[in-house]
Amino acid sequence: MSDYLWDPNAEPDPEIERLERLLRPLAARTHTAPVLPARPMRWMTARFLAPALGVAAAVLLMVGVTWQSASRSFGWAVESISGDPRVGSTSVGSGGHLGVGQMLVTDSSSRARIDVSSIGQVTIDVNSRVRLIESRDGRHRLALDRGTLRAMIVAPPGEFVVDTPSARATDLGCAYTLHVDDDGLGLLSVQSGWVAFEFKGRESFVPAGASCRTVPRDGPGTPRYDDVDQPFQDSLDEVDYGGDPKQTEPSLEYVLQHARPRDAMTLWHLVSRVDAARRGAVVDALAARVPMPNGVTRDEAMRLDRASLDAWWNALGLDDASWWRVWKRAYPQ
Amino acid sequence: MKAVPSFVEQVLAFPRLRPALKSGGAAEEAAPRPGGASGLAATIRAAADGDQDAFGRLYADHVRLVHAILLGRVPRADVDDLAQDVFLTAYSRLDALRDPSAFGSWIGAIARNRATDFLRQRRPQVELPDELPGGDAIAAESLAVLDAIRRLPEAYRDTLLLRLVEGMSGNEIAERTGLTSASVRVNLHRGMKLLREKLELP
Repeated sequence: MSDYLWDPNAEPDPEIERLERLLRPLAARTHTAPVLPARPMRWMTARFLAPALGVAAAVLLMVGVTWQSASRSFGWAVESISGDPRVGSTSVGSGGHLGVGQMLVTDSSSRARIDVSSIGQVTIDVNSRVRLIESRDGRHRLALDRGTLRAMIVAPPGEFVVDTPSARATDLGCAYTLHVDDDGLGLLSVQSGWVAFEFKGRESFVPAGASCRTVPRDGPGTPRYDDVDQPFQDSLDEVDYGGDPKQTEPSLEYVLQHARPRDAMTLWHLVSRVDAARRGAVVDALAARVPMPNGVTRDEAMRLDRASLDAWWNALGLDDASWWRVWKRAYPQ
Repeated sequence: MKAVPSFVEQVLAFPRLRPALKSGGAAEEAAPRPGGASGLAATIRAAADGDQDAFGRLYADHVRLVHAILLGRVPRADVDDLAQDVFLTAYSRLDALRDPSAFGSWIGAIARNRATDFLRQRRPQVELPDELPGGDAIAAESLAVLDAIRRLPEAYRDTLLLRLVEGMSGNEIAERTGLTSASVRVNLHRGMKLLREKLELP
């Protein structure tokens, strides 16, 4: 046997090499694992929970299961906008349902619309794959593995959540578009209201008219308004994902010098993202656009004191940060 | 006022990140994990407890195996979705995996079963060519070779796809599939011989 057939590092066999060249475009392209659904029940848990569940079921029977809850357990209504979207292997056609654990897939010519319980609608664009992870009162969660979804949600903050391979988008009452490509790179663009984008404690608050990228392993970048110019966008990307702070120093300089007053939103996020050596310059740049509110000191900002940064956020005139914190405490992720 | 690029254009205009992503990309991280069998067992335990990072490592190490098995059995357009299905199915059953070192052969079996279920459930339909207008451009010659491999016996098919499509070495194939090195050698040798005959190569 050719050594090369066994070991791709051996001297190439021209014929096998030609077959490799032909076949390599067919290799696995998806680089990010799907978002995990809620943790499956372990058998120990199941054993101890079983009696409790039995009692709960009896209580449910006693009070009667309403038609509404019965219909809710049937999943979310889905309809085709174009083409042949599928839930599992079933064509959606003019009406179907997406149940918890099920996957909705659109190909290059199909789009679908989902009714999210009674709180809004989500449109799934072409070449997309979404899964319904959870749906119960006050808590609805989708996973967008790839493709594009457009959400229009009218509900209290935090009721609707979309997981992507590199960040979680929490609806704060708004309309937004979320795209994830095959590499897990994501882009969130908010049309109205607010979205919180979060990955392992790294938070971005994205207001209407702004966008935010997200990258596997690094999480969400710094949000920026869509009307900033390209050099500003590029510099911000460099600061977010460029690695070595020394090399990204000129990019940070550019951002600090060219930020407009409304870009204080961007600078506020940068305060907690740059290293301590560069934080002073960011704090000063932010203070030049939006003065520190009474009671907030430069030292506290430098120490990333949460209450001080929240107070400064509130001074930006965008919205109050407190309800987000309150919501997070009430619904730990 | 400058035109705001479309949403997908904005993502596509983000190429600077891609080389870094690819070089550290999951699918290319094929080397065995530090810690060997005990490391794998710990990763499986963490994944079973819902640790997304641990699950990501399992995915990175085995996505090419699952992809190759599916590619040998189902239409190309369905492979990616089914691969995700396979990993989610595996996640939901991780508690049932008794021997962590058998993870590769175990998830391979899930992939084969999923492919069988998919083909069984598919409604009768007009067979379409694997390459349709609008899809990504794959040379007809590539698809002809894939078709020839798909007509090989199962053991040769999987092994050849892992080697020629996914770029794995013989040792890596043995490690991921749980086959012995000798079996992989035989499969590669005989599979290549049969493929040459089918393609009428000299």
